[in-house]
Amino acid sequence: MNIKHVFTVFKKEVRDIARDRKTLLTNLIVPIIMMPVFITLMGGSIERMGKDISENITVALSENSYTDEIRNLVEGEIFKDYPNISVNGVVSDPIQSVRNDEVRFVIEVEPDFAEKLAMGQPYNITVIYDQSDTKSSGSYGIIASAINEYNQKVVHKRLESMNIDPGILEPVKIVQSNAAIEKAGSNMMIMMMIPMLVSMLIAVGGIPAATDLVAGEKERGTFEPLLTTQSSRMSILLGKYFTVTLFSIVSVIAQFTGLVVAILMKPSFFNMANPGGSISVSIPPAALILSILITITLGMVFASLQLAVSTYARSFKEAQTYLSFFIFIAMIPAYATMMMQPDDIKFVMFFIPLMNAIASLKMVLGNVINYTNLVVALGTSVLYVIISLVFTASLFNREEVLFRS
Amino acid sequence: MLEVKNLSKHFGDVKAVNDISFSVGKGEVFGLLGENGAGKTTTLRLLATMLKPTSGTALVGDYDLVREPERVRRNIGILFGGESGLYDRLTAAENIAYFGELNNMEKSELDRRVRELAEIFGMEEYINKRAGKFSKGMKQKVAFARSIVHNPQIMLFDEPTSGLDVSAVRDVHEFIQKCRDEGKTIVFSSHSMSEVEKLCDRVGIIHKGNLIAIGTIEELSSKFKGDSLENIFVKLVGEKNEH
Repeated sequence: MNIKHVFTVFKKEVRDIARDRKTLLTNLIVPIIMMPVFITLMGGSIERMGKDISENITVALSENSYTDEIRNLVEGEIFKDYPNISVNGVVSDPIQSVRNDEVRFVIEVEPDFAEKLAMGQPYNITVIYDQSDTKSSGSYGIIASAINEYNQKVVHKRLESMNIDPGILEPVKIVQSNAAIEKAGSNMMIMMMIPMLVSMLIAVGGIPAATDLVAGEKERGTFEPLLTTQSSRMSILLGKYFTVTLFSIVSVIAQFTGLVVAILMKPSFFNMANPGGSISVSIPPAALILSILITITLGMVFASLQLAVSTYARSFKEAQTYLSFFIFIAMIPAYATMMMQPDDIKFVMFFIPLMNAIASLKMVLGNVINYTNLVVALGTSVLYVIISLVFTASLFNREEVLFRS
Repeated sequence: MLEVKNLSKHFGDVKAVNDISFSVGKGEVFGLLGENGAGKTTTLRLLATMLKPTSGTALVGDYDLVREPERVRRNIGILFGGESGLYDRLTAAENIAYFGELNNMEKSELDRRVRELAEIFGMEEYINKRAGKFSKGMKQKVAFARSIVHNPQIMLFDEPTSGLDVSAVRDVHEFIQKCRDEGKTIVFSSHSMSEVEKLCDRVGIIHKGNLIAIGTIEELSSKFKGDSLENIFVKLVGEKNEH
């Protein structure tokens, strides 16, 4: 192996790919733009929906309930403190009106409610809504809580009239005490998304380069002349390997740039678990460096496997087909661990390829840092880099693979 | 300059090249004539150290093919047929320099050599333009320059005119003659009789991995009672290959 040759191949490949507008667009430009556009569109629509659910609640009364007495009860008492609920007249067919989105709720109150109330008997208020409609089912909680509040007011009045302390109805009070590590709560979305994104992006980021660098060269007829130069096969392979690794990492950096822009543009989207809280990630430098190294080594493992596939493939198309499966290899552990909390991570995960990187990132982002586990993850990742590279090098040196046709 | 000694290459049970021996002197063009799949490309790939021989060896210049493959590659230049095999997004100069760098040429020497080759092949106008937009003829000139950038003493041509039009074929022939005039040792594979008759000093007829005849065209002609090369070839490889 000759370091100068490795650098010559690396320099040429980077220059070649950097001049390819198609690769630059898919590896660099689209990832930077895609995330902010996606989050803006999705976040905007979620925000609009949330606003509509909580702020514009329309209620009508059924024909039977459209009396002054009931209107006073509904408007003047039950929904009095709810400016977001507007009572809009009467409907003749409550079911159709709700289904047709004319109103979100129709309220029906027993006609003799006043008598029952006076006698201390229960009476029914029927809330007609459409559970299959997101807005109707989403606003139901607000209507129910307004009715419950009214219920409590009535109970309190009755107890007070009997000189009984209303506290008698609440023998136990729940006192909440949050034991979560500071800031961890607000990073739920980040903790869930980043390990998943990183593992998936690093698995696919190098695919365009890997496909082009061996299968593409074979197909264009540039590969055989390359093998007749004084450069050894190992030098050629390493030059290509570092190029694929670089482009995997560039692709992740591009996606993260997009993610940071998206967070800055729409922080509320990433903070749904803790509305009003701030998004902040505080990672000790040593843990940050370890997690970056683990991510890079994961990229190196994928780079050598992608080059192995590209070497084995008979054509560019065949390489593309085989390499498209890499996304599934990354998707399965990424989705399987998406909801996993840092505390739930088993020690064995730090030994398993890919899972070790996901587990480390989850741990670091969740601020539950265990350096032993991180060092184990890095150690096993380096081992997998060596194994995958030895495998690819052996394939790259096998005539029956290299000249497979 | 080039001495092939009992060279064999087997792929499983298939004897792609079977115990062939020949030698080519300085300034000589040796033609390997054979049908598709006869073993021409495998022989050239063996000589270029892209494949390892199953048995036998060759002396390329002063170096042994099996023991010193990197030194052998320093002494050979190779030109393949069909697509010229250039990097479209690199300029002509970058394409040539890439191979020069991988053949251990120093920067200053390489710059001088690229300028020299641009002049020799008349590429000055487009030497700094990207190869993707070049015509076939322009690409071919870059491929010629690339194959001799490190000034090899032995040139291997693997069916270099395959798929080319008339003028491109003429360019290739002129390039081979130019290499011969410079005293390079040349091995040239082809399945075209006229091409071999026109360019080669000596011919080896290869069939199913075996070198079944070797000599100058005159020697072969007198051995086969004045027959043309085409008739000799047909007689040797058998009537079944006539169609």
